Amino acid sequence: MKIITCYKLVPEEQDINIAKDLTLDLSKAAKKINTFDLNAIESAIEFKKLTDVEQITALSVGDKSLENVKLRKDILSRGPDDLLTVVDESFNQLQPHASAQILSAAAKQAGFDLIICGDGSSDLYAQQVGLLMGSMLNVPTINAVSKIIAATQQTITVERALDEVVEVLEIPLPAVISVSADINDPAIPSMKAILGAAKKPAKQLSLTDLEVGELATPVTPISVMAPKQMDRKQIIIDGDDEEQITIFADYLRKSFN
Amino acid sequence: MQKLSNIWLFSDLANRLPELVNAANTLAEKVSVFVLGDQQQVDQALALGVNQVHYLGEQPTTRITEDYAETIAHTLQQNEAPLVLLPATKRGKTLAAKLAIKLNAGVVNDVNHIDIEQGIKAAHMTYGGMAISEEQINSNTAILTLSNGAFPAAQPTAVIGEVVNVDYIAPAVAITCIERRAKQASSVDLNKAKRVIGIGSGIGSKENLVVAAEVASMINAELGCSRPIAETEKWMDRERYIGVSGVMLKPEIYFALGISGQIQHMVGVNSAQTIFAVNRDKNAPIFQQVDYGLIGDINKVLPALINALKA
Ligand SMILES: Cc1cc2nc3c(=O)[nH]c(=O)nc-3n(C[C@H](O)[C@H](O)[C@H](O)COP(=O)(O)OP(=O)(O)OC[C@H]3O[C@@H](n4cnc5c(N)ncnc54)[C@H](O)[C@@H]3O)c2cc1C
Repeated sequence: MKIITCYKLVPEEQDINIAKDLTLDLSKAAKKINTFDLNAIESAIEFKKLTDVEQITALSVGDKSLENVKLRKDILSRGPDDLLTVVDESFNQLQPHASAQILSAAAKQAGFDLIICGDGSSDLYAQQVGLLMGSMLNVPTINAVSKIIAATQQTITVERALDEVVEVLEIPLPAVISVSADINDPAIPSMKAILGAAKKPAKQLSLTDLEVGELATPVTPISVMAPKQMDRKQIIIDGDDEEQITIFADYLRKSFN
Repeated sequence: MQKLSNIWLFSDLANRLPELVNAANTLAEKVSVFVLGDQQQVDQALALGVNQVHYLGEQPTTRITEDYAETIAHTLQQNEAPLVLLPATKRGKTLAAKLAIKLNAGVVNDVNHIDIEQGIKAAHMTYGGMAISEEQINSNTAILTLSNGAFPAAQPTAVIGEVVNVDYIAPAVAITCIERRAKQASSVDLNKAKRVIGIGSGIGSKENLVVAAEVASMINAELGCSRPIAETEKWMDRERYIGVSGVMLKPEIYFALGISGQIQHMVGVNSAQTIFAVNRDKNAPIFQQVDYGLIGDINKVLPALINALKA
C-alpha cells in the first residue's frame, strides 16, 4: 500500500499578537507543523502493523517556509519515507479549495492507495481540505476517523466517533480519510530518527510541474479580527493563607446574588 | 433586506433542524428540506412550517449519510439553490465538501453569522478562537454549516409544505457501515449550567478532582475541564471539555481551577458574566482575563475553600 499523508505549516499560536486595531499580527510567529497533521502521520505509521506498506510520503503545499531544513527534518523524523512539497511564493494564504486542488494533483502524479489528512488546521480550521481532495479525486472520503481497526491492500476498516454514535466503516481503496486529534498520541521522534531524517529523499515541485488548471476561489476572506474582549475587574489576591482564601470565598459568594 | 428566493436544508441530527429552519426563515422566501428517515421525521420537518420536504426515504443500516451527496446534488442542480444550510456536525461538514465539488460551490464551516446584503458572507472562528474571519462566497451556491446554538430554534407552526419523493443515486464507490453503536448519552449539558468550575492540568490528581466536585456541589456548579484533562488524562468526559474544539459556554460564573488561560480554552468561557480563577503561577495568562483571581496552590486552596464556604 502506498500512503500519502498531508501536512500544513501553521503559525505558532503563542507568537500571534493582537494589534490595537484588533487585526492579527502574524509577523513574529514562527511556523510549525499543524498538530492535527502529526496525528495523520502517526496513523500512517500504524498501518504498517496491519498490512504491507510500501511507502509513506509526506506531502505539503505552501510558501518558502516549506524549505526550512529544520521543519523538513521534523516531519521526516516522524516516520515518512520521503517528502514531496509544492512551493510558491504566493502560497502563504492558500484557501482550502486551492490547497485541495494542488494537493490532489500532486497526489495523483505521485500515485497513492490512501491519503491521510488531519481533520483541520489550527490556523484557518476550515476542516475541508481532506474531504475536498477525496471529492476532487472522485474516491471515497470521510472525516472524524478515530481508530484504525483493520487494513488489507483493498480495504480499510475504521471507527468514526460522531456526536451520538460510533460508526464502523469499511472503506474501499483508493480513499482519502481525515483523522481526529484523539486517534493517537504521536510518538516523539528518537535521536536516531532525527539523524536519519536528513538522509531521506525530498522532492520539491512548482505549480508548473503539475496539471492543476486554474486555481478556483469560491470563497475569499474579507476580514480577520480578534473579537472585542469583555472588561474584567482583575482583582488578584496574592497568597493562599486562610485570610486570603476567606476574601476570595466572599467574592465568590457575593457573585451569586 | 432582499431575501433569497430559496434555501435548502439538511440535518443529520433531527434536533438541529429547528435552528436551520429558523435561520432559513429570516433569509429566504422559500425553505426546502431534505429529510432522511421515517414518517415521523417528515412530519417533524413539516411541523416547522417549511415549504417543501424532499424525502430521501429511510436509510438502510449499511449506508452512510454522506453517500446521499449525489442524490442531494442532483436535486439541487435541477432547482434554484443560492444557499444550502447544514449543521456543523462531522457529517454536515463531509456532505458540505462533497456537495461543494459537485456544485462548484464555496463552503464555510462552523458559521455563527450570515449576511446577505451584498452576496453571501459568513463568519466563523479562526486561529483557535483568537479571531473571527468573515468570508465572501463567490460561487452561485453557498454551502454553510451552522455552529451549534448560533441561531435560535424555530417553533412548530402551521403545516403548509408538500412532500416530494427523491430517488437514491448511488455514489461511484460506496463506504459500507458495518456497525453503528450508540454512544453513552452525554450525562451533562454544560450549556444549561449557570455556574461552571473548569478543571485544568493544575488539579494534579484524581483525588483533588473529587475535592473539586465537592466545591462544585456546594456552589451548585457543574464541572467542566480543559483539553488535557479530557484528552490526555482522560479524567473527565469529552462532553465536559471547554473551548474552541469542545463546548462553548455562556455561564453566569466560570471558576477556573489550575487552568493556564490559553486562548483556545478561554474563547469557550469569554462570555461568562464573572470569571474566577485559582492558579499558583502569578504570571499565568488567566489572571489577565479574570474578575477575581487567587494566586495559590490548589492542594492548599481547595480544603480551605470548602471550610470558608461552609462558614
Ligand atoms: C488548535 C488547538 C485547539 C485547542 N482547543 C482547545 C480547547 O478547545 N480547549 C482547551 O481547553 N484547550 C484547547 N487547546 C489546548 C490549549 O492550547 C492548552 O494547551 C490547554 O487549554 C491547556 O490546558 P490547562 O490550562 O489545563 O493546562 P496547562 O496549560 O498545563 O496549565 C496548567 C496550569 O495549572 C497551574 N498549576 C499547576 N499546578 C498547580 C497547583 N498545584 N495549584 C494551582 N495551580 C497549578 C499552572 O500554573 C498552569 O497555569 C487547543 C490547542 C490547539 C493548538
